[in-house]
Amino acid sequence: MTIKSLENEKQMDSTDIALFVRVSKGDVVKWSRQSIVDALLRETSISPEMADKVSREAENAIIASNIKFITAPLIREVVNDKLVHHGLEEERKQHTRLGLPIFDVDQIIRNHNKENANVPHGPEATNLSLAEAIKKQHALLRVFSPDVSLAHESGDFHLHDLGMIDRPYCSGNSLEYIKKFGLNLPNALSIAKPAKHPEVLIGQMIKFSAALQGTFAGAIGWDAVNLFLAPYLKGIDDRRMEQLAQILVFEYAQQAVARGGQSIFSDLNLYWEVPKHFADVPAIGPGGKFTGNVYEDYIGESQRFVQALLKVYRQGDAYGRPFFFPKPQIHISEKLFKTEGYEDFLTQVAEVSSEMGNPYYVFDRGDTAKISECCRLAFKLEESDFNDAKTPWKMRYSAMQNITFNLPRIAYEANGNDDILFELLRRKMEQAVKGHVAKKRFITGLLNMGNTGPLGLLTMDTDGEAYYRLHKASFLFGMVGLNEMVQYHLGSELHESRDAFKFGLKVIAFMNKMCEELGKRLDMKFVLEQTPAESTAYRMAMLDLEHYPDQARQTVKGDLASNEVYYTNSTYLNVGSQVSPIERVKKEGMFHPLIEAGSLTHIWLGESRPSPESIANFVVKTFKHTTNDQIAFSPEFTSCLDCGKNS
Amino acid sequence: MNIRGFVDTSFVDWDKKVSCVVFTAGCNLRCTFCYNFGLVLHPEEFDEIPEDFIFNFLEENSDFLDGVVVTGGEPTLQPDLEDFIKSVRKFGLGIKLDSNGTNPEVLMQLIAEGLIDYIAMDVKAPLDSEQYSKLAGVNLNSSIGDIKKSVQLIKSSGVDHEFRTTVVPGVHTKADIEAIAKSLAGADRYYLQKFQPNTRFDKLNENKPQSDAEMEELAEAARKHIPSTEWRGR
Repeated sequence: MTIKSLENEKQMDSTDIALFVRVSKGDVVKWSRQSIVDALLRETSISPEMADKVSREAENAIIASNIKFITAPLIREVVNDKLVHHGLEEERKQHTRLGLPIFDVDQIIRNHNKENANVPHGPEATNLSLAEAIKKQHALLRVFSPDVSLAHESGDFHLHDLGMIDRPYCSGNSLEYIKKFGLNLPNALSIAKPAKHPEVLIGQMIKFSAALQGTFAGAIGWDAVNLFLAPYLKGIDDRRMEQLAQILVFEYAQQAVARGGQSIFSDLNLYWEVPKHFADVPAIGPGGKFTGNVYEDYIGESQRFVQALLKVYRQGDAYGRPFFFPKPQIHISEKLFKTEGYEDFLTQVAEVSSEMGNPYYVFDRGDTAKISECCRLAFKLEESDFNDAKTPWKMRYSAMQNITFNLPRIAYEANGNDDILFELLRRKMEQAVKGHVAKKRFITGLLNMGNTGPLGLLTMDTDGEAYYRLHKASFLFGMVGLNEMVQYHLGSELHESRDAFKFGLKVIAFMNKMCEELGKRLDMKFVLEQTPAESTAYRMAMLDLEHYPDQARQTVKGDLASNEVYYTNSTYLNVGSQVSPIERVKKEGMFHPLIEAGSLTHIWLGESRPSPESIANFVVKTFKHTTNDQIAFSPEFTSCLDCGKNS
Repeated sequence: MNIRGFVDTSFVDWDKKVSCVVFTAGCNLRCTFCYNFGLVLHPEEFDEIPEDFIFNFLEENSDFLDGVVVTGGEPTLQPDLEDFIKSVRKFGLGIKLDSNGTNPEVLMQLIAEGLIDYIAMDVKAPLDSEQYSKLAGVNLNSSIGDIKKSVQLIKSSGVDHEFRTTVVPGVHTKADIEAIAKSLAGADRYYLQKFQPNTRFDKLNENKPQSDAEMEELAEAARKHIPSTEWRGR
């Protein structure tokens, strides 16, 4: 039967049925069986004959129910039911409707999202939650192959930010881009020329960050912020300098009005010295013009601004509470120690660590340089990037996606056998890499739609290439529970025996090597990252308690009785273990050279307020005596949301 | 040495340094405001920590450590304190000694041998007062002279040092603090320490600790005699 003849037949049948349909576009229309056929033929790979058969069966079922009004979603479900009866599983998936039960929607609108402490509760936030719920379903059905989706759902590995499937993960940006080109956002009606004054430049930077937050799932990082601002700060007195620092921090911190009512996940990379790779680079100043000087010439302004920023961080907000964003990332390189005043600078940073806890200390040893994005992610600059440094507006980096492995489960499945353990790890990485390829394909498709496509901001081309440099994108593999993997496999945790620790290193070295191999094979850049995966660590522990109860009960941390369980994050040592801060930075730091996209050791300070000089002293020793990539100190205090006080 | 406590990494106990802290058992005073009273009264309730355990830690981590703080209890009561300190120094680490000053001979010996890099001595009350015995919880008639001797010894030792007084609410007056400072005049550093209400020996003192402003006022009074006076416990 041809489509034409089907249509003729249908027109006759449907006029006789006094049934009205509420359709999704917002109308009430008379029943038309043809609409079912049309939808099936448009959306699925079903044959016309089968479409006709299924539509008739659905119609009969609906007529038999004597219903007077029906909604389009319900018709769709009835049709899906018939597709299942005929074993048309693939067609049913193609025809499925994404959405949420009304109960869930009601809950989302009324109740606070507990999964992410950074998500506030409000109409913007619930819009985000609802949209993410649907995009996540879309991703699992449409973007990833069924085996990859299943591996995610069953907890073999975790595909991060599925609700933001149509955005890359995170980005590193350069102030030089805005300085040179002004602010020219695809959807904005007005275009701004390059800024002439620092206030304007800071405003453009934050606006651009908010725009980027709309096209990236995660953090928005900015490189060498104090240095790149410096040409705008000539002759500015201390009072205005401090005010500029306040503008920068407060405007970021209070951007809880942007996407989903969230603050922008922002990072400011800061330097006391002028990093080697920028020292001789021609500086861009007011109006986007080259000033005729190089960045080394602006060390004075750059240092005064970073000092002003630290003062703002030390003071905290109106209630004296720390700022969560933007995060200050203080870079420590060999050159720092040759730069006058570094001791006082480090003490000033350490005072902020001691009192507020914000600063991250990023160690750039030897000739490496890094841009840190979110809590843990760092991009190491490669040879070609140092060439980019001569044209710093080009320095735009991104990680496309992050996939985190459930390591303890591999140990359960290997049941004590080394060979099986590494073979399983290899297989799971081979499987997960398909997830990265799929995401790349999907995002590439969106980027190819150009300036009028959904990722128009990332395709804008002002300097001979798209803002988003796809060829530079990294694809991340993270890990949860190395400690519990080793604990199950060898019977002791990472900190408990040398053998356990060595085996942990072997696992991460294997993963690192796999990244290299896969990268060569697929011509993509795969790197390990310490995923900031608190909720994933919980989710995997819960799933394993369900599916591998005998094994998981021996390893999960937390409290089994109250279900508040977790696996130890990434390659961390057991957070509850009595390991001295010195041993922690040393031992955890041994993993860091293998985890190229960034890693961190947290040092808990307890309730005491240590001397800033002692903290600075510890930081310098960590730089000199370990391979640790990044540390942060966490003083313990509680902020009361009601009265605003700290204790 | 009878060691009943060990903090492997401290950013607090020795200003500007990364140190570890060794707590010795027992004390000859019974200060009502002591924050380590468990260690003073019932040291046996804490596990004894073998010296070798500490030396192993020092050996592996001397690259990070600047020194070891020996505190208590009262360390100068330990007969083998000197041996312990000498062993620590072999790792190239400095020594900070906390003391109540009741054993000037021990201090003198350690200073003379150049074994100490920093001394912190507690001064509980004006040196001539009856209050000293009251606050120290023992009759000090005979040994107040020793405490004075220690003060003089430390001031003239050439060793980096500090004196410190825990300000007990309802007990110390501004005049007391000024009197203590006067007797310490010429010292490198003097610190007033805020009373920690949850760590006291007895429950007798129900007074609230001094406010920050009150601490600052007391420090200001002490500065007449020791200009560098500061206070701790913000």
